[in-house]
Amino acid sequence: MVEFKLPDVGEGMHEGEIVKVLVRTGESVQQDQPLLEVQTDKVNAELSAPVTGIIREIFISEGETVEVGTTLLVIDAGTEAKAEETKLPEKVVNPDKTVNFAPARADHRRSLATPYVRQLAREMKLDIELVTGTGAAGRVTEEDLRQFANRLQKSAPAKFPTSATGNERQLEESTVPIGTEPVVQPKTGTATRAATSSQGDIERLPLKGIRKKIAEHMVKSVTIIPHVTSVDELEMDQLRALREKIKPHADKRNIKLTFLPFFIKALVIALKEFPTLNASIDERTNEILLKRFYHIGIATDTPEGLIVPVIKDADHKSIFQLAEEIDQLARLAREGKLTMEHITGGTFTISNVGPIGGLQATPIINHPEVAIISLHKMEKRWVVREDEGVIRWMMNLSLSFDHRLIDGVTAVRFTNRIKELLEDPNLLFAEMV
Amino acid sequence: MVVGEVAVETDVVVIGGGPGGYAAAIRLGQLEKSVVLIEKEVLGGVCLNRGCIPSKALIHTAGEYHKLSSLNKLGIQLPTGKATFHMPSWQTWKSSVVDQLNKGVDYLCQANNVTVVKGKATFLSSDRIGVETGNDFETYKFKQAIIATGSRPYIPSFLKTDGEYILDSTDMLALDEVPETLAIIGGGYIGMELGMAFAKLGSQVTIIEATEHILPQTAAHLSQEVLKQAKQLGMTVKIATKVEQAEVANGSVTLVCTSEKNGSESITVHKTLVTIGRVPNTGELGLAQVGVEMDERGYIPVTSTGSTNKSHIYAIGDVTPGPALAHRATKQGIVAAEVIAGLPSSVDSPYVPYVIFTEPQIAGVGMTREEAELQGHKVKAAVFPYRANGRALAMDEGEGFAEVIVDQESHLLLGMHVVGADASNLIGEGVLALELAARVEDVALTMHPHPTLSEVWLEAAEAVLGHAIHVVNKSKVAVSK
Ligand SMILES: Cc1cc2nc3c(=O)[nH]c(=O)nc-3n(C[C@H](O)[C@H](O)[C@H](O)COP(=O)(O)OP(=O)(O)OC[C@H]3O[C@@H](n4cnc5c(N)ncnc54)[C@H](O)[C@@H]3O)c2cc1C
Repeated sequence: MVEFKLPDVGEGMHEGEIVKVLVRTGESVQQDQPLLEVQTDKVNAELSAPVTGIIREIFISEGETVEVGTTLLVIDAGTEAKAEETKLPEKVVNPDKTVNFAPARADHRRSLATPYVRQLAREMKLDIELVTGTGAAGRVTEEDLRQFANRLQKSAPAKFPTSATGNERQLEESTVPIGTEPVVQPKTGTATRAATSSQGDIERLPLKGIRKKIAEHMVKSVTIIPHVTSVDELEMDQLRALREKIKPHADKRNIKLTFLPFFIKALVIALKEFPTLNASIDERTNEILLKRFYHIGIATDTPEGLIVPVIKDADHKSIFQLAEEIDQLARLAREGKLTMEHITGGTFTISNVGPIGGLQATPIINHPEVAIISLHKMEKRWVVREDEGVIRWMMNLSLSFDHRLIDGVTAVRFTNRIKELLEDPNLLFAEMV
Repeated sequence: MVVGEVAVETDVVVIGGGPGGYAAAIRLGQLEKSVVLIEKEVLGGVCLNRGCIPSKALIHTAGEYHKLSSLNKLGIQLPTGKATFHMPSWQTWKSSVVDQLNKGVDYLCQANNVTVVKGKATFLSSDRIGVETGNDFETYKFKQAIIATGSRPYIPSFLKTDGEYILDSTDMLALDEVPETLAIIGGGYIGMELGMAFAKLGSQVTIIEATEHILPQTAAHLSQEVLKQAKQLGMTVKIATKVEQAEVANGSVTLVCTSEKNGSESITVHKTLVTIGRVPNTGELGLAQVGVEMDERGYIPVTSTGSTNKSHIYAIGDVTPGPALAHRATKQGIVAAEVIAGLPSSVDSPYVPYVIFTEPQIAGVGMTREEAELQGHKVKAAVFPYRANGRALAMDEGEGFAEVIVDQESHLLLGMHVVGADASNLIGEGVLALELAARVEDVALTMHPHPTLSEVWLEAAEAVLGHAIHVVNKSKVAVSK
C-alpha cells in the first residue's frame, strides 16, 4: 500500500484545494497517470500516480482544502486492474465468499444525481462529475446540466479558440489576452435558476477554484493597499510603424511580435529610474523592499480564470526574447500547464485589457507589488497637434499605485517617462541595455 | 447450400439465454438490431430454471409448511394429525411456474424479433461464431457479440457430485423427497437459503462453513439473526470447519471435517449439498480465437458499458467479476444492448442490492457501517426493531430490524440494510432512496402507509435524527425543536 500525500507542488505552499478527483476507489492506475487536480495559490497542478496499482481508498473530496502532507489516497501497488477483481483470498475459488454483496466501491463521493439525470448527462455528452450540483445536498439537477451545457457553449468559442488562426490573431493583434478586471468566468461552477417572477432569472454561481483564489487575493489587495489610479494617453503611431518594420524579421524567426515586449522594455527602463515602483512593503516589519530585479507579471486571461505568469529578468531580454517568452507563457497558461515557478516572484504587473476594449480602469495591484499598469484599447482618435486636428493611433494607460509608498507626482512622472519612451521608440533604443 | 459454409449475417449474437442474455437480446430487438440469441439448454438460464425461481419456490413452500406449526397460537386449529409435505407434487407445481416463465421469455423474444437458436456456441474468429445444433453446425457472422454464458457450481475435485448423494444446487432442487439428514458444505447465501428451507421441511441439517461466519458476504450483525433462527430450526452450524474428504457407502455420505476447535470429526448424512461458489462458463467458448481476455479464474473483465478488451465483444452477468446476481446480469445486458445501439448507457451505479432468502430474510444496498467508516465517513446510524412495528407483530414476525447508515455531515444515505420478514421487498425503497441521492430526512419526512412493514424505514430514519416515535431514542443530540 502506498499512501499518497499532498506534496509541496510549489514553493512554500502549505495547502491546496482539491479541484478534481480523477480516479475512483477500485480503479487501477498506471504510474504517472493523473490522479487529482489541486489548486494552490494560483496554479492548477495535476498530481499523478507515483506507482502502478489499484486505488484502495480516497480520503478527500472535491472542493476540500487540505494541508501539505495530508494523505489523499491509498494505492495498492503491484496489483493491476484485473488482478483487483480477480484477487483471491488464498485458496478456494469461491465467488460466493470473495465477492461482497455490498461492494466497497460504493463510493458516495461521486457526484450526487438521480439515475435519470446521469443518463441525461451521458446523452448531452457532459461529464457529470464536472457539474456542480445546486440541488439539496449538492445534487446535480436537470437544470444544472442545462446551465452547464449553456455555459460551455457560450464560453467555448471565446475561451478555447480552436482554430490556429483564432489563436494567432488574438496574440498578434494585441498581446496576451488578459485583464485585471474580472472578465473571466469560471470554467466550472454551475448556475441555479433561482427565478423570481418580477426580476427574471437569477444565476447563482459558486465561488470556487481559481475564481475564489482571485477573489481572496483581490480583497486582500484592496484592503491592505490604498489604491490611487492615474490615467494617461499615449500616441502609438511611431511604435506601430516600428513594429511593422520589424515584424517581417520576427516572422522569419517564427516569433509573434506584439506590442507587449515594447511596453515591457519601456516599463523596465522607467522602473529603474523610479525604484519605489518596483518595490514592496513588508507590513510586519514596516520596511520598504526596493527590488533590483525586474520580474514582470503579465495578467493573462485563461479558461481557468486570471493568472499572472511572470517574465523573469525582463531587463536582460531582447524584444524578440520577450516576445517568444510571452507567447510561450500564454500558451502554457491557456493549457493550464503553468507551474508555481512560472507565476511567482513578480515585481510589477502589466494588465492588458486592450483587446477587449475600455477607456480606463482601476486595476487592482497584485499584492505585495506596489503598482500595476493596465493598457487599454488602441484606436484612432482626433487629437490636436500643432494647433491642428489630426488622426492618431491613441491608447490609454491606467496606473494604480500604492499611495502608502508612492505619491501622485512620482506616479505621473513615471507614466510620463513611459509615454516618452513609447511615443518615440528611438529613445527606447537609446536607453535599452 | 451446405450449412456451416455460408454464415448467416446478423448485427449481434448473444450467447446464453439467462437473465443477462435474454434481456440484452430483447432490448436489442426493441432497438431494431438484428439479433441471434444462442442457448444450449433452456431460455431463462440458471436464474429461471435452476436458481432464483426454483429456489424461491422451495423456500416459499417450506415457509408455508413451517408456519403451520405456529398457527395454533393464532387460533387456527388444524385437523388432528401432522401436515405432510409431498415433494413430487411440489416439483410439478415448481415446473409449472418455471414453464410459465420460460414461455413468457420465449414469447417476448419472438415479439421483439429475436432469433433464438438452440445449440452450443463457440467463437470461430473475431466476427464468426459456430453453433452446434444437434447434428448440424451453423455459422453466424456478427458485428457485435455479447457473452452471457453465466456460471456453474464450483465443485472441488475431492467432492465429485454424483447427483444422488453428493449434490449441487441444481440436483438439490430436483429432488423428489426431503432427505432425512443433510449436510451442506458452504454457508454462503445459497447454502443457507436451501439449508433453512430443507430444515423447515423436516431435514436434519448441518452447515459446514470454512470461514468464521455464515453468510460471509454480509455484515456480522445481520447474519447473527439468521444464525439465531438456524439454531431454533434445529440446524447444526459448524464454522471454521473444513471438509477434507467425502465418501459414499451404504446409501449415505460420510464427511471428514477438521477444525481447530474440534480437530478431526466425521459426520454421516443421507445427502450432501456442495455450495461453495460458482465458476464462470468461459472455458469452452473459444475466447482465444477472438483474443478476449480473462482473468486467472476465468472471469471476463469489462468496462461500465460491458465492453471487453475487444471493443466489439461485450460480456455480462456471472461471467464478469462482481456479485453473481440476476439483477446485475439484467442491468448489464440492457446497458450492453443500448451501447451497441449507440445509446449513451452505462452501468455506473455502485448500488447493487442483495437479497438473501434465509429465515429471516436479509437485504441491503450501499455500504455497511464498517465500509462507510473505512471510506472515511463520519457515520450516524440507527436501527429500528421489527418488534416495535405494529404490522410485524400482527403478522407474528417480530424478529429483525432495519438499519439506516448516513453521513454525519451531509445526512446523505450511505447504506440501508434490513433483516426480517419480507426484507427482500422492503429493500426496493432503499435502492431507490440511494439512487436518488436522498438524505435521511427525505425518508423520515415521507409518509409511509400504516400499518406496514415499510414503516421500519421511516422509524429508522427518524431514529438517526433522534426522534423516532416508537422506540426510545438513544441519542437526543439531533432533536430539533
Ligand atoms: C440456487 C441459486 C439461487 C439463486 N438465487 C438468486 C437470487 O435469489 N437472486 C439473484 O439475483 N440471483 C440468484 N442466483 C444467481 C443467478 O441465478 C445468476 O446470477 C444469474 O442467473 C446469472 O445470469 P446470467 O445471464 O449471467 O447467466 P445464467 O443464468 O447462468 O445463464 C447462462 C446461460 O448460458 C447458457 N450457455 C452457457 N454456455 C453456452 C454456450 N457455449 N452456448 C450457448 N449457451 C450457453 C446456459 O445454458 C445458460 O442458460 C441464484 C443462483 C443459484 C444457483
